[in-house]
Amino acid sequence: MLDILIYGAVISAVYALLAVGFTLIFGVARILNLAHGAFYALGAYCVYTLTANLHVPLVIAAIIAVLLVALFGIAMERVLVRPLRKLPPLAVLMMTLAVGLMVEQILLLIFGSEARNVPSLVESSFDFGGVLLSGQRLLAFFCSVAILGGLWLFMQHTRLGAAILAVSQDPEGARYMGIPSDRIFSIVMGLSAAIAAAAGVLVAPFQSVIPGMGLLPLVKAFAIVIVGGLGSIPGSIVGALLLGYSETIVAFKASIEWSQIVSVAAVLIVLIVRPAGFFGKRAAF
Amino acid sequence: MSALLQVEGLTKRFGGLTAVKNVSFALQPGEITGILGPNGAGKTTLFNLLTGFIRPDRGTIVFGGAPLIGAAPHRIVNRGLARTFQLTRPFIGMTVLENVVVGCLAPRVRAEGHTEARACDMLDRVGLGAKADLVVDALSYGDLRRLEIARELVTRPKLLLLDEPFAGLGTSEIEPLAALIRQLHLAEGLTILIIEHRLREFMQLVRRVIAMDFGEIIATGTPSEIVRHPRVVEAYIGRGGDDLEARLGVTTTESIRGTA
Amino acid sequence: MLAWGSLSKTDVIGAIIVVALLATAPFVGSRYIIGIMTVALCYAIWATSWDFMSGLTGRENFGHALFIGTGAYTAGFLNVSFGLSPWWGFPAAAIVAVLFSLLIGFPTLRLRGPYFALAMLSAAVVMQKLSIIFSETTGGQDGLNGLSPMLRSQVSAYYFTLGALVVTVTILKLIALSPWGTILRAIRGDEATCQAAGINVNFYKICALMISAAFAGFGGALYANYQLQVGPDLFDVALSINIIIMVYVGGMGSIYGPVGGALLLIGLTEGLRSFSEYRLWVYTLVLILILFFIPSGVIAPAWVRLRDWIRRSGATFARRANA
Repeated sequence: MLDILIYGAVISAVYALLAVGFTLIFGVARILNLAHGAFYALGAYCVYTLTANLHVPLVIAAIIAVLLVALFGIAMERVLVRPLRKLPPLAVLMMTLAVGLMVEQILLLIFGSEARNVPSLVESSFDFGGVLLSGQRLLAFFCSVAILGGLWLFMQHTRLGAAILAVSQDPEGARYMGIPSDRIFSIVMGLSAAIAAAAGVLVAPFQSVIPGMGLLPLVKAFAIVIVGGLGSIPGSIVGALLLGYSETIVAFKASIEWSQIVSVAAVLIVLIVRPAGFFGKRAAF
Repeated sequence: MSALLQVEGLTKRFGGLTAVKNVSFALQPGEITGILGPNGAGKTTLFNLLTGFIRPDRGTIVFGGAPLIGAAPHRIVNRGLARTFQLTRPFIGMTVLENVVVGCLAPRVRAEGHTEARACDMLDRVGLGAKADLVVDALSYGDLRRLEIARELVTRPKLLLLDEPFAGLGTSEIEPLAALIRQLHLAEGLTILIIEHRLREFMQLVRRVIAMDFGEIIATGTPSEIVRHPRVVEAYIGRGGDDLEARLGVTTTESIRGTA
Repeated sequence: MLAWGSLSKTDVIGAIIVVALLATAPFVGSRYIIGIMTVALCYAIWATSWDFMSGLTGRENFGHALFIGTGAYTAGFLNVSFGLSPWWGFPAAAIVAVLFSLLIGFPTLRLRGPYFALAMLSAAVVMQKLSIIFSETTGGQDGLNGLSPMLRSQVSAYYFTLGALVVTVTILKLIALSPWGTILRAIRGDEATCQAAGINVNFYKICALMISAAFAGFGGALYANYQLQVGPDLFDVALSINIIIMVYVGGMGSIYGPVGGALLLIGLTEGLRSFSEYRLWVYTLVLILILFFIPSGVIAPAWVRLRDWIRRSGATFARRANA
């Protein structure tokens, strides 16, 4: 029971990181970013290269990795996505999917298909009433919560955050108020990429770092935002908790294998029962 | 004579906002009636409720003797209640003729066959016969309005709801369209309900006006009675309403598209 | 989106010429070329079936591989595990794919927004995972091997595949030209307007998906019976996206264009065989170029132009002959 509670919390926190960025860029720019999983994989590989090949200290490597991926996200939005915004939405979807596949191919060409190891920042393990949890998982949990909290503060207490919320709630109105929506899109894409990369960096030590590692998290992010309501940040956090715990429970009570079906089953059930998700849409914070 | 449409206590809330509040009215067969109200008065929401695009929270709608609530939009059309949209959204990329053919394919009228011939006849009647093979993207706004009406008319409605048919049209386009509507009413006895927020178009066209404000019916009467009705005057002028033209472009059609 | 109009005599003659050219391949090509072409024809069936649903109605399907994979595995199971004749695989594959299309399409297609696209993509990814996880039944990474061949020679398999493609394109194109096709294209134009015209859009969308899935599943079985092997890569996202790119190149909504798109892209990547690692790069590059420069595609618009040219010169010729 306690093990489900603890492992579920760690998984949910990482899922929340993934889903928040995904839902953010959808809520603000209406971009369904199928390259989101690639950001996650890039984060993990960046930190791997920086530590294993360039011998950068782990903490600094993590920060550089997040910044690099953020830049990549911004570049993708400006160069590849923005020119297509006039076309039907399928074009943007195709482009983000193409970017996602490209990244996977590049990683495959450079690093090959075998799994890479990233060292843990915290080596020791902690005992919670008989449940052993590795330090890195604990760190992943706390960092995720801290990043989500930071995002909340940013959205609530900065002018930029307010502008992002304004664009997500009423793009027309925001434009009349003089908010440059194009710049907001770029910034949010960068932010969303950075958060996804942070998730990748945090899980890299206890996940197998392989080129295709971003695909399944992308599917999980879909499921979460559909459960929570597309475009809603609190919804995606609740969705992450629901999905994270459902998967953990299934994994412990049935088998790890069956936990893979949870996300798709959740999507289908939610869409049948309550299509808007449990938090409706665009209720950003 | 029993009413063709009988609406009783219709109410719809969106969050804290009551868009349509306790609306009741009846339409007799062959009647041409207008619904007047400033933007945001709940007119389009009322249409969306009548045509099944939105489900009401409370109230009953009886059309042709049978209740309508809960029926899907396409079923309501097939029972003879058709509507146009305030923002015309034709089937982009298809020809004018094909746009009308889609209306001929509704189950109720499909059995009659001759879809293309019927669509052509209808285009001739609304004055688009010469443009049948054009792709709709090239049509003017006035022509799109006619196309919209033609597409609904081929479904052979008993009651036609027109959502601001004159919005965005120049004066030279308004008169022929009004003549078309008048002719539909006089020649075929089609029952018509028109939304407008400008009185001008109503004056000659309709016999009876239902005025709405804040989701409620505030007055019912002939156009000349309505113009002088104190609550109507207040709704328009009391709220700085002399700036009517400025509100022209604001629409609520987005909300139906979102839920459809 | 272009309106692809109705079928003319020139179209039929053009199609017959293309089929005749494809039919000569076994006389000129090597075994290797025929093998590639058979695979390309399978891709053409998949791309055409994608186009029928997504090209016509505009509801993008990002997991067409779900239908292909389920179809192929169904054929594989029946043959390898149950020892049934390969011919049973075709109807069974189509039926199973249709069941999957109902499972995904029913809850998602009635909603606006990207739900259908996401659910299809997710379902394909999860099926791929499951096919690897439950390796005792599915053979895991290696898949199912040793299907018994349905036809003895490679050439007859090629002609069978070609025939299947002709049947697929003919059926789907005829539906697309019928009132059904008009309704599907109207759904692409505007769903609310379609409802206001008295059309039950959900019914038509789900039917279109079922038809699309049936042909994709059938194509999957065809592929499995030709390769004599079924693997988890048949659920791959890359397969789904390759198919969409073929449709893009062919011209979306034209039904016949994707056939050209499939042949062209497979030809292109096979021509660059020594760079097989870069196959996906070629596809992605083609996609980006198309998206940026010719969003209406290549094959179908090119044919429309050629056809109009033929008609014009034909008319001129007739005038001269009369004079």
